[in-house]
Amino acid sequence: MTLKSLLLSSALGVAMLVPGLASAKDLTVAIQNNLTGLDPTNVNDTLSQTSLRLIYQGLFGFDKDMKLVPLLAESYESNADATEFTIKLREGVKFHDGTDFNAEAVKINLDRLRNPDNNLSRRSLVSMINMVEVVDDLTVRLVLDAPFGAMIASLAHPGAMIISPAALEKYGDEINRHPVGTGAFVFDNWAADTLTVTRNDDYWKGPAKVDRVVIRSVPESGARMAMLQTGEAQFVPNFPPELMQVIEKNPDLKVDISPSIVEYYVAMNNNKEPFGNQKVRQALNHAVDKDAFCQIVFSGLCSPADSIIPKDLSFHVTAGEYEFDLERARELMAEAGYADGFETEIWANSNTESLRAMQFLQQQLAQINVDVNVVPLEAGVAAQRIWSIESAEDAEVQMYYGGWSSSTGDADWGIRPLLLGENAPPSMFNVAYYADEELDAAITGAIGTADPTERAKYYETAQKLAWDGAPWIFLGVADLVAAQTADVTGVHMLPDRGFLLEDAAFTE
Amino acid sequence: MLSFLIKRLLGMIPVVLMVMVAVFAFVHMLPGDPARLVAGPEATAQDVAAVRSALGLDKPLPQQFLTYVNNTIHGDFGLSLKTRRPVVEEIGMRLMPTVWLTLFAMIWSVAIGLLIGVVSAVKRGRWPDYGGMILAVSGISFPPFWLGLLLINLFSVRLGWLPTGGYGTWQHFLMPSFTLGLGVAAVMARFTRSAFIEIAREDYVRTARAKGVPERSVIWRHSLRNALIPIITMVGLQFGFLLGGSIVIESVFAWPGVGRLLVDSVSYRDYPVIQALVLMFSLQFIFINLLVDILYVFANPEIRYQ
Repeated sequence: MTLKSLLLSSALGVAMLVPGLASAKDLTVAIQNNLTGLDPTNVNDTLSQTSLRLIYQGLFGFDKDMKLVPLLAESYESNADATEFTIKLREGVKFHDGTDFNAEAVKINLDRLRNPDNNLSRRSLVSMINMVEVVDDLTVRLVLDAPFGAMIASLAHPGAMIISPAALEKYGDEINRHPVGTGAFVFDNWAADTLTVTRNDDYWKGPAKVDRVVIRSVPESGARMAMLQTGEAQFVPNFPPELMQVIEKNPDLKVDISPSIVEYYVAMNNNKEPFGNQKVRQALNHAVDKDAFCQIVFSGLCSPADSIIPKDLSFHVTAGEYEFDLERARELMAEAGYADGFETEIWANSNTESLRAMQFLQQQLAQINVDVNVVPLEAGVAAQRIWSIESAEDAEVQMYYGGWSSSTGDADWGIRPLLLGENAPPSMFNVAYYADEELDAAITGAIGTADPTERAKYYETAQKLAWDGAPWIFLGVADLVAAQTADVTGVHMLPDRGFLLEDAAFTE
Repeated sequence: MLSFLIKRLLGMIPVVLMVMVAVFAFVHMLPGDPARLVAGPEATAQDVAAVRSALGLDKPLPQQFLTYVNNTIHGDFGLSLKTRRPVVEEIGMRLMPTVWLTLFAMIWSVAIGLLIGVVSAVKRGRWPDYGGMILAVSGISFPPFWLGLLLINLFSVRLGWLPTGGYGTWQHFLMPSFTLGLGVAAVMARFTRSAFIEIAREDYVRTARAKGVPERSVIWRHSLRNALIPIITMVGLQFGFLLGGSIVIESVFAWPGVGRLLVDSVSYRDYPVIQALVLMFSLQFIFINLLVDILYVFANPEIRYQ
């Protein structure tokens, strides 16, 4: 009876067109999590930040390969020691509410973001700015407290996107729910799990080719795939690799695989024995088969790391290779006085992928008698036990498995928070508690200048030093998998797991 | 009846207060620092401190509790730490979808469950009984997650009849409510069957049969009516659980409901939302119990409340 009635009621559904399906000119994107807010200066997750690129733009931004491009700015100049930046703005741009985009608007935005009283979570992007000066209507000058060579990259981060000053005035804190920017789409509605934006016909680059974009949160990956198959969604970023085969069999769908800038590593706490010993750290690097890591944890969609930062990040150089060599690993362990191995524990978040990675590492390190206990931590517990400790001495972490992507697309944010000596938790993310004077000098040297050639030299030194010092077990850089319907063009994954939809179009 | 209602309603006040204390204590005992989670993975120590003071989490716990009670009494549940939208709005957007989903699921489960239960009891020991109970046991042991994906694959991907998920028209309701209802239908069937068999042994049923009352009337009037009392209790309890417990279904069908909101809020340590939701779920249970008591009277007018 149940099946019969179900079939009956379902059959009735055929008569009417199923309303969940979007019309041809609407692009629906299915993502895995809910958005957390619509104020770009006050959200932290990649999905929210990248979705807001539909509505907002920054002075600078990224193209689909995450190369820095000017957006609301036309050009910039800086002085030699990277303490003053003069930025020329684009002419004739208007916000969605009709307000003019100009130097005053930039000043209001940057002053709001860097003001500690406003408690905006993206303040660190511009906190080094001491003064924002309006030179003329289309020119602003930023005067910094100290040299900061990665300033322009910071301004390209979605957290520094520019909000209409009139809207800021009108909505105050409520700007989080009433976004007004200069982007290709105008905010329409943000319900429980859906963001809808409509085309901005006055967009300065010319109107977009789709009428509306709908960003829907669909937590279950099987359901996201089903939406793609039924045409309810046209783009699914961050597609789980294990579902790829289904897509590949379907001629109406296609998969896009591209390298990311998300590097995975195991940080070893240098304050804890035996990880204070460089030979031990190098031995562990030789004991892990990185190709196998890529196969097992990311179904082969990953490449072994060859430096502390991924290939596609600016200033990357190949720093070396720790080939998989158990003999060499055992030798180094013996030289360090640990021929019989030792016992330790590894921490990571409790998701399936991290668990798989930790178990893999456990098995690999057992080959050189290192006995690893796997400790998965729920996100809140991890935040407390790893990142919110009072001081470095309280840190109990021994090995930590995690991934990092530099959301400014610049080597600075890929290295400084993770490896500068003073950046150990709780201040930043140097969970290896690695402190090396030469490395510190190279990292700070690189932000002391805005000259790319100079910075490149510093970063080359930094990468070689860090590789040799081996504060981490260098693992791999994951690929990105996105799936889309074949009739859509112009949707791109960004290497930091964000996406760009501005050029989306349907082929007829 | 009226004085009973008033007494029951007044009796709720201490219960609600206890719930509030328990919820507050429980939420603050969760390991993890919400300020760190709100500030995000790339936040510096200063950012985290700024967030903490903005959220009032740096204040002493008793002070935070008093603020919480005071605000709650005034109907102010604060802002979600995660989205910075008012908690009332956050829950409001998701409450009705869950209520409707639960109601539809209950309709499925009562219809299917009662029918299978009654048929099994009447045809006890024969093949409709075995068939019904096999169905019921499979219904209980079917992972709803798997059934949901199976239905999506059949009705959305292959047949193209129903949307895969989301909330809106009646088509959106069919698969999630059926998936959710099936587990409860199974419980309901087993429950109805045993209640019914129990009643069939009662003297008045035997008397009715002996008097020559038609079998149809014995089943539907004499037996079912009396069996309804435990069944209504069961429905009430299940309804309460479903309201908060449809998390898996809400995830599979991308249903914007409170179950998903609760899970998200716990993993994010979104204190105000967790507190408001748990308080709401407790109130729901209290009200459903009250409703169940009232329904008894309609099922069996012999019951009178003093």
